Amino acid sequence: MIAFLRYEGRRIFTEKKNLLFLGFISFLAVYFSWSGLNEFRQFQTEKEVFLRFEKEKVSQLANYAQYGSFGFRLLYEGSPLGLFFINSSVFQDLESNIDNFEAIRVESSFKGKKLFLKRGYFKDFAGILLAFGSLLMLYLGQQALVGTSYLRFLTQCMPLKRFYAQTTLARLFWLDLFFLSLGLGLFYLVRLAGMAFSREETVIFALFLIFLVVMLDFFYLLGQFTAVFVRFRPILFLWLFIVWFLCVFLLPEVNRIRVFNRSQGLESAEKVNLEKFRVLMAWEREFKNFLKANPDMPRDQVRSMQKRLAVQFINSSFLVNTGLETRYLREVEQVIASHERQSVLFPTTCFQFLTGEVSGKGYYGYLDFMEYIMTLRNRFVQFYLKKRYEEPDSPMESFVKSDENIFRARSRLPRSFRFEILLTALYGAVLYLLGYRLLRRQVCRP
Amino acid sequence: MIVIRGVGLAQGDERLDTLSLDIAAGEIYFLLNRPGLDRFFEVLCGLRRPDAGEVVFSGGPPGAAAAIFIERVANAADFETEASIGDWIDFLCASCGFARASVFKTLLLCGFHERHLKKRVRDLAPDTFRQAYLAICLAADRADIVINDFIRGSEKSFELKFNKLLLQKKAQGQAILYLGSDIFYASEIADRAGFIKNGRLLFEAESADLKDMDIKDLYLKFLN
Repeated sequence: MIAFLRYEGRRIFTEKKNLLFLGFISFLAVYFSWSGLNEFRQFQTEKEVFLRFEKEKVSQLANYAQYGSFGFRLLYEGSPLGLFFINSSVFQDLESNIDNFEAIRVESSFKGKKLFLKRGYFKDFAGILLAFGSLLMLYLGQQALVGTSYLRFLTQCMPLKRFYAQTTLARLFWLDLFFLSLGLGLFYLVRLAGMAFSREETVIFALFLIFLVVMLDFFYLLGQFTAVFVRFRPILFLWLFIVWFLCVFLLPEVNRIRVFNRSQGLESAEKVNLEKFRVLMAWEREFKNFLKANPDMPRDQVRSMQKRLAVQFINSSFLVNTGLETRYLREVEQVIASHERQSVLFPTTCFQFLTGEVSGKGYYGYLDFMEYIMTLRNRFVQFYLKKRYEEPDSPMESFVKSDENIFRARSRLPRSFRFEILLTALYGAVLYLLGYRLLRRQVCRP
Repeated sequence: MIVIRGVGLAQGDERLDTLSLDIAAGEIYFLLNRPGLDRFFEVLCGLRRPDAGEVVFSGGPPGAAAAIFIERVANAADFETEASIGDWIDFLCASCGFARASVFKTLLLCGFHERHLKKRVRDLAPDTFRQAYLAICLAADRADIVINDFIRGSEKSFELKFNKLLLQKKAQGQAILYLGSDIFYASEIADRAGFIKNGRLLFEAESADLKDMDIKDLYLKFLN
């Protein structure tokens, strides 16, 4: 095995075009990690401005009626690990405004310099390794066995099975070592640059790297299998390109279109808002009718009536609306769960789902954000009603304590992570065995 | 020694009707067939099963080939491994247990220059690569050698060096079976030659008889 390791190491790392490709991948990975780090730092600066603005805003408000209308903004902050996945996340910067209106708004700003922040495929550490890492692995996989004449020559020196197994293992060892070193190297480099990662994030990043390596191994075995399948013919590169395009672009896109089509079954968010608005208006009408029926009611009695109706609102209409919103969220969650199940089926779709979750800006991060919005909103509406109707003359006080208006999303692994790794490894094993079977038929004719 | 007992290959240009041959130790037997004997060579290598008969070699260590098989290198690019020739030789010596001294001895005999060890297959002239290939093949310690049309297309200088090596192996008592279609080359090196036509071994001649015969006539009769 040592001889194989030494030889394959030399085959990979002394060939100029391989070195050029490896250097290119390393350079892009470093560049995009650095660019991710810069964006993360920029976000932290803007977050400070955001917090200052929100604090300042409350001090400028005249009364709680204004506070209820303006509300406060809630900012979504991705995990620090997100700097490796700035373009692979499901969504970008999110904000929500929590006020006494019924509609929950979740939006992304394109104002000012954010207009120029162009997001797209592969422009981050994870994307570069997916696009170019898979291409390199396909290429090195197809180069591994050289050709039928070479294998026929080697069969007189050693059994084909031994050559096939040890060559594959030795090449995968060096390539995996390269990608693991690159990933871990960048992780520690970013830490040296001042980024702090929690223990949980470190473990998640390590597990992500393991999945990445298993997925790239799958591509290597796919390249090796493709070479054997097309009998090492000169048109092989065209085949490799087709296979690469299918795996890296087409299948994830088909997966995305499928989840979009499935999401079409969801009720429109506007419809839910309208339903909630109707519930609110019914409550408003009730109050209006009461005032019409009792035009001469004294002011303090109107106030106590307002208070009573507010309590009634919290206990009935508000609960109904929260229920509507929760039900809607559960439906979205079902679509996400089915998307996750579907993504598990192929390594690249799996990778896409995984990067979203590891960045903290994935589907489950969104669900947590929505839950957090609803919890805060619940507390804010109670705070608002109490301050407005029970303590109308009290000085203005901010609802937001410390940095409660920052939602810190955490990196996570999908629930199906273990299954994803196992399935990807299984695909690799199947390709390995099929490749060997086909190769044996080509070299040793019955 | 090499014993071929009633080997038959059905169908095709290269079909064989029950071929039986005994090649003694220290003998070079040249088997001639116009369309070539690639399929028969595969049978000898153990890469293909014959339709009938069997081949028996003196034997080799378990898990390794029973004889040395030297195939024609039609295109050196088929052996491009992206590693230098030196690394390739080191790898094969380490993984297959070949003696480096034996490989380098053959390389020296072939006139292989040390600087070529740093080059890759794609940077070598075809005959220079053939020297390295030959050195690796001959490094295996076996009593029998089977060669398939190895010198076709090579320079005369390489052919002479190869002949020298063959004669050396013959002198060491190895049985050599050469498959090909070049009757002039056969008359130069073979102790015995067999002519196959339409799948049958029609004629056999000793080296001394071959020299007395009209080669052109034999060519027209059996190989045209």
